[in-house]
Amino acid sequence: MSVKVLILEDNPVARSFLCRVVRESFSDAIAITEAGDLESARRHIGPLGRQEPADPFKLILVDLELPDGNGMELLAELVKYPATKIVTTLYSDDDHLFPALQCGADGYLLKEDRFEVLVEELQKIVRGQPPLSPAIARRLLTHFRQGAGAGVDSGPAPLNSGFQSSRPMPLGRGAPLDHERLTPRESEVLTYLSKGFTIKEIANLMGIKWFTVNDHIKSIYKKLNVSSRAEAAVLASKQGLV
Amino acid sequence: MATSSGPQSTLGTADTVIESSFGERVSLRGSSLSRWMGWRLRLLVLAALIGCLGLFLVTRMMAGLPRIDASWRPDSQGQIELVRAADSALAPLVGQVLVSVQADGRSVEVKDALTLQRSARWVIDDQLRARHHLIHEDLGSVLSQATVRLAFADGRSVLVQPMPRGFAGLPAMYWLLCTLALLLYLVAMVVLMAKPNGRNVLYAVLSLSQAGNLVFIAIESTLDLALPSTFAHLDLPMRVGFDMVAAAAIVNAACVHPRRLPGGTGIAMAAWAGAIALTWVVATDRLPHGWWWVQMAVVVYGLVMVGLMTWAYEIEPHPFATVLRRFGLVTLGTWLLLTVALASAVANPGVHQNIASVGSMVWYVFFASLLLLVPFLSRSQQVMREFSMLAAVSTVATSLDLLFVAVFSLGQFASLTLALFVSLAVYSGARQWILNQLLGSSMLTTERMFEQLYRIAREVEAHPDRTPALLTQLLRELFEPMEAVLVERAVSATRVSGDGSTLIVPVPELTGEAAPASRSIVIRFANRGRRLFTREDARLTDRVVEQLRRAVAFDKAVEQGRSEERARLAQDLHDDIGARLLTLMYKAQSPEMEEYVRHTLQDLKTLTRGLAAPNHRLSHAAAEWKADLAQRLTAAHVQLGWNFEADEDMLLSVVQWSALTRVLRELVSNAIAHAQATRVDVEFTLRAGRLELTVGDNGGGRNPRAWSHGLGLGGVRKRVKQLGGEVEWRELQPRGIACQVTLRDFAPRP
Repeated sequence: MSVKVLILEDNPVARSFLCRVVRESFSDAIAITEAGDLESARRHIGPLGRQEPADPFKLILVDLELPDGNGMELLAELVKYPATKIVTTLYSDDDHLFPALQCGADGYLLKEDRFEVLVEELQKIVRGQPPLSPAIARRLLTHFRQGAGAGVDSGPAPLNSGFQSSRPMPLGRGAPLDHERLTPRESEVLTYLSKGFTIKEIANLMGIKWFTVNDHIKSIYKKLNVSSRAEAAVLASKQGLV
Repeated sequence: MATSSGPQSTLGTADTVIESSFGERVSLRGSSLSRWMGWRLRLLVLAALIGCLGLFLVTRMMAGLPRIDASWRPDSQGQIELVRAADSALAPLVGQVLVSVQADGRSVEVKDALTLQRSARWVIDDQLRARHHLIHEDLGSVLSQATVRLAFADGRSVLVQPMPRGFAGLPAMYWLLCTLALLLYLVAMVVLMAKPNGRNVLYAVLSLSQAGNLVFIAIESTLDLALPSTFAHLDLPMRVGFDMVAAAAIVNAACVHPRRLPGGTGIAMAAWAGAIALTWVVATDRLPHGWWWVQMAVVVYGLVMVGLMTWAYEIEPHPFATVLRRFGLVTLGTWLLLTVALASAVANPGVHQNIASVGSMVWYVFFASLLLLVPFLSRSQQVMREFSMLAAVSTVATSLDLLFVAVFSLGQFASLTLALFVSLAVYSGARQWILNQLLGSSMLTTERMFEQLYRIAREVEAHPDRTPALLTQLLRELFEPMEAVLVERAVSATRVSGDGSTLIVPVPELTGEAAPASRSIVIRFANRGRRLFTREDARLTDRVVEQLRRAVAFDKAVEQGRSEERARLAQDLHDDIGARLLTLMYKAQSPEMEEYVRHTLQDLKTLTRGLAAPNHRLSHAAAEWKADLAQRLTAAHVQLGWNFEADEDMLLSVVQWSALTRVLRELVSNAIAHAQATRVDVEFTLRAGRLELTVGDNGGGRNPRAWSHGLGLGGVRKRVKQLGGEVEWRELQPRGIACQVTLRDFAPRP
């Protein structure tokens, strides 16, 4: 059975380029579905229910700038969808990428990178070694520092308070939940990343193996996603969707 | 009266300053109205009732006194001439000289104008005063008879019946003076009720004595031929007493306000003792030249008060002391003028009588108005300005009028006209000077004010945390205070306290980013301690703050508009051109072409990012440079040596950031693409404003001088030149090329 991949990209040239990248990256049989806008992508994915989709996409590449909206909308809808979601974009700055990561993306690819670089990055993400630029590391640090209490820094106040009141807080106001708190090691990794150190350098500095550093990064991603997911759930229950 | 209680005015008393604002003396308005409910209000109403009742009783007595409805005046020989008569029997005798008044078999000779002298207070000579007393006693008893015979110099005599005049018959001057006296009394009571402390008691005593003086003058103004005998007894001792009490109270007040002077109690005791003793000896006629003693005593007390104020000002430059000293000098000057005029006119009884009644009345009214003004000094600059102008002009006019009449023996009309002209000339010439002197209204010019305002607005926008300091600076330039401190106390609105010595301004939140800060700026002693703060100043400050707020909002709006515009531009460039370049890159025929387009695309991204973000922190930029280079070099299997040192984490401007980003990228690309290096070393050093960037490789490049500077290296030169630096390539041993960029004056973002 082939691995199902969805590529959402409006530029046909870029789409075919990404198809090549995906085919090159994996040795498995691959079935690629292409979509040019959000609407057709939603159609391909099908209804999002509580139960697991029967034959889900394993990998979804989402472009951010689309003719009928922003790829982030789809990412937000797919928070619980069991696929590796990757943002493909021309924007490399944290202002554009961070919200996408918050929406549940598992990594990002910069479209202007060379073919070989893209293949390598894609393999890394699927293996669980997502990239983390210094700017995004900085954003993550402030996010988790401010995120004490609940949710994302940009979250509306009533939402936060509703979230807080729904759970007993162990240490009173302002104490973050476990999944919203970084371990000291994770903070350290983030701090080094924000200063421009490479994973190997960080491993050397911290006296750990490079894949341990990578585990930390993965865990940070997960925490970001979990906190976003929790927030999305609260948002959904507020709006009567769940 | 509230002042700082410490021995010196120090910044540490800032809290007491604020505290004192709650004890503002006369606070009848709005928020403090509740203080006036309860016992204060009841007592005040009671005091007002007593005052009105007392005045009513006096008025009823005056209205009930029998009098002959006629006007008299001293003629040129100093005899009493009938000017006007309502009685039909008297009417034909207008212009005749009165010689005696007879009734019940008694006859009182009225030979000279002394009879018309209303108050014994202004009779200079001791013998004359005794005679004045006698005449009035006799006249009083004669006039109280049912019928009185008036004998005139031409031998004719008329029988008239003195009649009570009734309320309507009291002259307008009487009502005016009584009203003023009542007003003064009420203000004294309000001040006393507001805060019954020693200082306010002194003010009340002072005001009451002057109210008493005014009542006496009012009573005298109703009398044309004789005083009722009880009144004639009381007049001299009471008026001397009032004057001396006022003088002593002023000296005492000067000892305790605006600050308590060392040895003040002794001075005050001496002043009171002197005043009481002098009143007693003068009233009991034990002192020869009593009038002179009283006049001189008042002058001495006045001088003492001025001296005390000067001393107080030297200890602590409270502007209240300056203002009171000015008031004291003006009052003292006019008092001296009055004394001199009276003394020099003694040879001319007609003139003397004129000065004694009109001149002294003007002086007392002037003094009473000053007293009325004192509690409101820091309330309104407008009232004060108008009052000082009015007081100055009328004082000058009256004094000149009196002087001309007394010294040059000019006629009434001529002297009045001349006095009016001279005082108008003095007024127009010295108006500005008087205003400046009395109020010290040297203000920042409007032009400079605006300049400051907008300069500060820009700074506030750049550093919102410096708002208090900048605002303090602006207020300093506006008011030139002696002290300006920031206190951690919140006040709801700008207000004046400490009798106008202090202005408290809440620190506004100009940028609207944080919650309102609970801080205030306290500025004390405006204009180097020569001026009082007034409500106008508080309003002016509010307006200045409002303008500042607007300027900041405007600047912010402009800046926001600009950054939105830049962001839109960046977005368009990025989305449109970026997408096309990307397509072009994917479709590139050769790797060189692809690399070239990628390069262009990266430059475009750098450009748009620079447009969207106005500044970049050096450490952040360096982190990104490093991560970027590391990724690219790793992909090309080249080792990166990175060495970054900076003594200051400055903010890079867009130009600096994008230039450095592109220079680095270009140099590293070169090392990868052309030199086939296996290692690239980047050294970045920023020390004391000098930036050195060296990119060295171990590739096969040689003889850099011979290179044709294509687009890439030309771009590097251009960028470095843009930053005002130099770039140099040299060969490394054993192999490789190093490019060194030196920026001597690498300044932070302006």
